[in-house]
Amino acid sequence: MMKRTAPRSTLRKIIKKHKPQLRLAANADLLVHLNFLLFLHRLAEEARTNAFESKSKIIKPEHAIAAAKLRTINNF
Amino acid sequence: MLPDLDNDTPRFMLKRIIQTQPQVSPLAPQISKHEETEEAGLEPPSKRISSTVEMQLPDLVPEDTSMTTFYMTRKKKKFSISEFERAADKRLPQNQTQSTLDSTSLARSLHMSLGSLIPPDTVEKRGLLRRPKNHKAIDMEAFEGGVEQNMLQRKAQNYLVDSQTASMIRRATLMSDAEIMMSNTELFVQPQFGEQSQHRLSALEPQLPESKISAQGSKTFDAAHEEARLVGLVSNVGTHEGRTQRYSEKNLIVDYEHVGRMTPVSPKTFVSQGEDHQSHFHQSDPMEQFSVPEEVVAGTTEHHANARYSEQLEKKLTKTPESQITKAQDARVETEMTASEEEEVAEGSVEHLDSPKAEPEIARSFGAGSLSRHSHAFSSQYFEKSGTKSFKKAVEQAGELEDRTVTGEVEEMEEETTDDEAEIEEPESQEISMNTPAFIHAAAYKPLSSLSTPHPAESAVPKFPLQPLRAKPVPKSSGVSRRKMHEPELASSLIKKVFSHYVKMPVARDAFRIVKKCSERYFRQLSNDLEAYTQHAGRKTVEVADLEVLMRRQGLVTDKMPLHVLIERHLPLEYRKLLIPVAVSGNKIIPCK
Repeated sequence: MMKRTAPRSTLRKIIKKHKPQLRLAANADLLVHLNFLLFLHRLAEEARTNAFESKSKIIKPEHAIAAAKLRTINNF
Repeated sequence: MLPDLDNDTPRFMLKRIIQTQPQVSPLAPQISKHEETEEAGLEPPSKRISSTVEMQLPDLVPEDTSMTTFYMTRKKKKFSISEFERAADKRLPQNQTQSTLDSTSLARSLHMSLGSLIPPDTVEKRGLLRRPKNHKAIDMEAFEGGVEQNMLQRKAQNYLVDSQTASMIRRATLMSDAEIMMSNTELFVQPQFGEQSQHRLSALEPQLPESKISAQGSKTFDAAHEEARLVGLVSNVGTHEGRTQRYSEKNLIVDYEHVGRMTPVSPKTFVSQGEDHQSHFHQSDPMEQFSVPEEVVAGTTEHHANARYSEQLEKKLTKTPESQITKAQDARVETEMTASEEEEVAEGSVEHLDSPKAEPEIARSFGAGSLSRHSHAFSSQYFEKSGTKSFKKAVEQAGELEDRTVTGEVEEMEEETTDDEAEIEEPESQEISMNTPAFIHAAAYKPLSSLSTPHPAESAVPKFPLQPLRAKPVPKSSGVSRRKMHEPELASSLIKKVFSHYVKMPVARDAFRIVKKCSERYFRQLSNDLEAYTQHAGRKTVEVADLEVLMRRQGLVTDKMPLHVLIERHLPLEYRKLLIPVAVSGNKIIPCK
């Protein structure tokens, strides 16, 4: 369960690339990282459910795609 | 009576000092200095002693001023290694003079220690004094300001006054738009494009008879394209056309720079601008009649599309005498293709040139604007699709839009893009290539339509085609591909690790690729949402509250599940401490509020 440090500067660069005029508060990028982790978490849960349903022991690309399609990002 | 530094109290030491005050002596300052430096390293400064020594110093100073000045220079030459030394120098001469004269070893050692004590204190004080930390704020602002100034300077050098004023006007108009940003954080985009355009120009000119036009066209392609992006919808059409007239081939650079400066402009904005530019450069004098469609086409095309297409255009156009017309057509078509298989598209566009050629040129001028816009959005949608399919669609759309005026098409384009989403999704799903584009588009466009503001949607659309464009200049900059600079990406290893941890099952490699694409799209949407929330709050900086609103909207934060709990669960301790204020003893809150 080793947690890795959040790539704070990379996150800032990504957001800057998309929205150059937008600024980030001091610790806002940590919450962005948290949001990203939770997003991956939701995606992973869904993919795992799909894999179970197809009785597969590993996550296959189709499971991930189905999970992504289901979770159209802002909606739950 | 050797000084017992460990056991003697400062009081005793001071007493000794006062009693055995040595006389100042100019002799042998160096030796004492040696000893002092050694002592300085060994003995920790005692504040009380140092303060008392300081009190004593004023007594010594008047005696030693003449001597100190003399010795300071000598000492500085020998021992000015650090600030400590320098600080010590001022005080040391006084002490040294004392110590040297002092016959007793005690006095000498005392003075040496005292001398060593004083400088550390002052050095410590100096060391504690730090310059105010305004790194980030200054850097960003200064950087952005510097970039703008850079742009201005460059413009002043290369461009006509008209172009400059035009750019100023454009910039002014752009400033009015909230979403358009002035500073270009991607510095390298411009020079690379400049290089590319220049290279292309130089290469093409000798080759083709129409190379001038094509070269210029390519330059303007990029420039117009970029500029078009930058310039907002605001009354650009009329000004563009007038400006394009003025813009000769020389002005291509202006456009180019403008474009490079302002990358994240909605497709609509740059369409109008692009129309002007593209048409301008494509058809210098003889093509002026087609200037409008050219411009439109140019505006819509992406950077990379421009580069590639213009090159291909030029090569292929040499064959036909009507190359000018076809070029415009190609440019238009090619711009539509954008990010998708570039080469295929380019070739397809060239081949398809013949078919769209039949379209009335005049109609093209009108339709080009809308078409380019539409095709741009269209092409961005199809960034992953094969070129031919999207190209056909673009051609169809071109036929539809031909008769419409550019301005009128602005709103229509928006509607069409949303309408076309449904159409697009179907053919996309049928494609043999990855299914990700389908669901990516679906997912991308749903939030686009859901968001109230059209601008984030617009900005989201061109962003994607931008990325492959940026990838092209990468190898030119240096041998080592500095992907992070050009396209900041999240470390794939991080994504893999986090995803595997959350999924608790072995994951296929292809599945990771999908997850990576999802995360890229996620970040794009995230930035859109954050911008919307921040603007709604009337701010320009994303705050923690905005992120909480986002998470609440996503259903992560509920009345039952507060944000802090999520932070505690998923973030490591260091970040938790930063985010969650904790009260500690002494009426303090960490982090300080």
